[in-house]
Amino acid sequence: MTRFIRPLFMLAVVLLVVFAISGCGFRDIDKRFFVIAMGIDPAPEGQKGYSITLRLAIPSPKIEPGAAKTQVETINATTIAEAIRLLKSHVDKELDFGHCKLYLFGERLIQTDYNDSLEWVSRRRDVQNIAYVAIGRPDAKTIMNVEPQGERFPGNTIFLLFGNDGTQSSYIINEQLFDFLRRVGEKGMDPILPIMRKEDNGYVVTRLGLLDKRKLVAELNPQETEMYNQIRDRYAKSTITANIKGDTLVISIDRITSHYKIRKEGNGYVLKLRMNIGGIFEEAPRGVYDQDWHKLEQAFNDQVAAEAKRLLEKVQRAGVDPFGFGLRYRATHAGNSQTWKEWESIYPTLKFDVKVNVDIEGSGLVH
Amino acid sequence: MLNRIGTLFAESRDLMMNRLQNDTLIIEIAFIATLCDESKVSDFILTPFTKQEHPFDELVTTNPVFKRLEDPAKWADTLLDGFVLLQVNGVVYKLDAARIIRNENPQTMVETVITGPQIALSEDLIDSINIIRSRYPNPDLAVEERTVGTMSKTRVCILFDKRRVDASVLTMVREKLDRISSPMIMASGELSRSLGDRYRLFPSMMVTERPDRVCTGIYGGKIVLLLQGSMFALILPATFFDFMNAVDDHYDSFWMTRCLLALRYLAVILTISLPALYVAIVSYNPELFRVQLTFSIAGSRSGVPYPSFIEVIIMLFMIESLIEASVRLPKYIGSTATTVGGLILGQAAQQAGLVSSIMIIVTSVVAISNFVIPVNNMSGAIRFLKYPLLIPAIFFGVSGVTVGLLCYLVYLADLRSFGKPYFRIFSKTPSQSGDIGQVSSE
Repeated sequence: MTRFIRPLFMLAVVLLVVFAISGCGFRDIDKRFFVIAMGIDPAPEGQKGYSITLRLAIPSPKIEPGAAKTQVETINATTIAEAIRLLKSHVDKELDFGHCKLYLFGERLIQTDYNDSLEWVSRRRDVQNIAYVAIGRPDAKTIMNVEPQGERFPGNTIFLLFGNDGTQSSYIINEQLFDFLRRVGEKGMDPILPIMRKEDNGYVVTRLGLLDKRKLVAELNPQETEMYNQIRDRYAKSTITANIKGDTLVISIDRITSHYKIRKEGNGYVLKLRMNIGGIFEEAPRGVYDQDWHKLEQAFNDQVAAEAKRLLEKVQRAGVDPFGFGLRYRATHAGNSQTWKEWESIYPTLKFDVKVNVDIEGSGLVH
Repeated sequence: MLNRIGTLFAESRDLMMNRLQNDTLIIEIAFIATLCDESKVSDFILTPFTKQEHPFDELVTTNPVFKRLEDPAKWADTLLDGFVLLQVNGVVYKLDAARIIRNENPQTMVETVITGPQIALSEDLIDSINIIRSRYPNPDLAVEERTVGTMSKTRVCILFDKRRVDASVLTMVREKLDRISSPMIMASGELSRSLGDRYRLFPSMMVTERPDRVCTGIYGGKIVLLLQGSMFALILPATFFDFMNAVDDHYDSFWMTRCLLALRYLAVILTISLPALYVAIVSYNPELFRVQLTFSIAGSRSGVPYPSFIEVIIMLFMIESLIEASVRLPKYIGSTATTVGGLILGQAAQQAGLVSSIMIIVTSVVAISNFVIPVNNMSGAIRFLKYPLLIPAIFFGVSGVTVGLLCYLVYLADLRSFGKPYFRIFSKTPSQSGDIGQVSSE
């Protein structure tokens, strides 16, 4: 019998180890309610706390356009955790946030203070860090109640809108939870959130909200959003426009690079931004082929540089740093507690020197 | 002599005992008629004895087919091996006249290949050795013979290349063969169990019917055991990776066989872990899937009344029964079983809401990838492995499956096949060519 004692002992050890790493409760996939989006609004006037709206997916074995069904639940409570717990008594299955792809802050909440509501999102274990975060206009509940017509499965529109699988728009800047939390906590970089609003029975995302560490402070219009996207992400699937002698010329970008340096010049600091853009005409008057492209390029250079400079100055005036200039400064200067203080005094007076080099590669037509 | 034999075999009607007489000589012969080829008896004994072209007592001493048998204690065994006992002038001789009924013209049935040799080993030892020797024409090929089984006394041949074989493995095999105490050994699998595979999850020697595999094995320094009455040879020591090799891999184009090899390993991983992963992901970590898949699984599972592991067990039970049935059923009904089981049962089980449609896919993937493994006894071992893995999956989810797989890996790495590491990746036994006489005799 002794030959069995050693394996038995080993088995006992393995079982002990295995029990120590046991997973969470056994609950089958059909006993779970998948939350696909969660909206956080402040409670109605005169009450404390939050109004939480969840969009729950009703799974169906059929996947075809328009077959998606969802259930929307709203509840008010003093804390988010309490709201979720209360909500569980409204539904018949366990709530699972594992597939929750969108956390939407209501505009009214983000205009006052969003820090408290972040606590729940950043601590809850089944909240995935790759979830998208956005601002809901006028409030999150309205957006949650939108049921787009052609959804193949619940929430598909949201996944396609923000992910790279579906539409690729230069006006949509997706912000994921991990990046948002990083920006909230990092010195020298401020959070941004796309603004999602309802139009007819669908969503529109064209604007970007600029936040400081506590609340929403400014908003970029679609053109500025596109510019932001071009400077920060070198987003190539976009366009630049210029007005030349009354004509509007549009170049569709093939390649774009941008880099910047922060230099001390004289008494103050200057941020030198250089952009190289190459592309072909998407809209231009007839006969553009025969014109002198150097002049056209020069016009583009000036107008795009002015636009970029306007954006940078607007951001600077708002007192936020969505590009992370401060982080670059901290990273490239000797690190001590003084560095950050220096940057705080430099940024409001920072000068911008933007140079754009547009290279027109073709007229877009076959001659 | 005849009196003694008569008392040894009390009630055997097929025992033939005769005392013959010609002009000069009286001989006694005894044999078991059912074991012997009577034409041989008449060719070698009766005809020369009665025709008296030579003096028969001289013939017996000159013709090498007659061997002297000194020990009367061996008479019974010799008779039972199909020999004829012959007493001339008080001296006992034996003559091999065994008639062995065996499969004619054996074709490979278990391990089929497309372009390789189609002939399989024979159920008769002599034929098998003939097949192997003709494919391995080298004087270094050593053949040793022993018997195993206290009652059955089955003949076992040990074949190896005496220059290439690993001496320590050889002595270990000899010792183990001597220590076998089971009364009956009928098949190679039985022998491999008696040699130490009894409580193992993985087979430590390869059972094969292919002479080309045997020859490659011998050339690679391995030892081959052949058993009288079984057309399967045992090749040892074996490594895990040997079992994943089909003989085709030596014949077909290089890149294709490498891809097939990769495919096989993938299939092994799938067949072991897929049922457990299904339980773990569906019940613990549904966020691992893409959203689309999650919703479609959740939708198709919504009608299933049982938890996922019951579902898995139902389906695996069905598929195992199906495989078992199609192996056991006669060939003519076999295809009916698969049709009924595969088509009707799978469809109906899903439509009745007993299992989800994803589970049907999981089950078929598990079954199909199990059949990809080229050596049958390994395929059986792998087939079993998925069941223990279900238990940690039920209790601990994906982390449980991971730990379970780790346990298998640790166990594999710990295994030894006749003293050689079982999980060794570079599986060639180091060649000892040129080292003449290192293994000369027992």
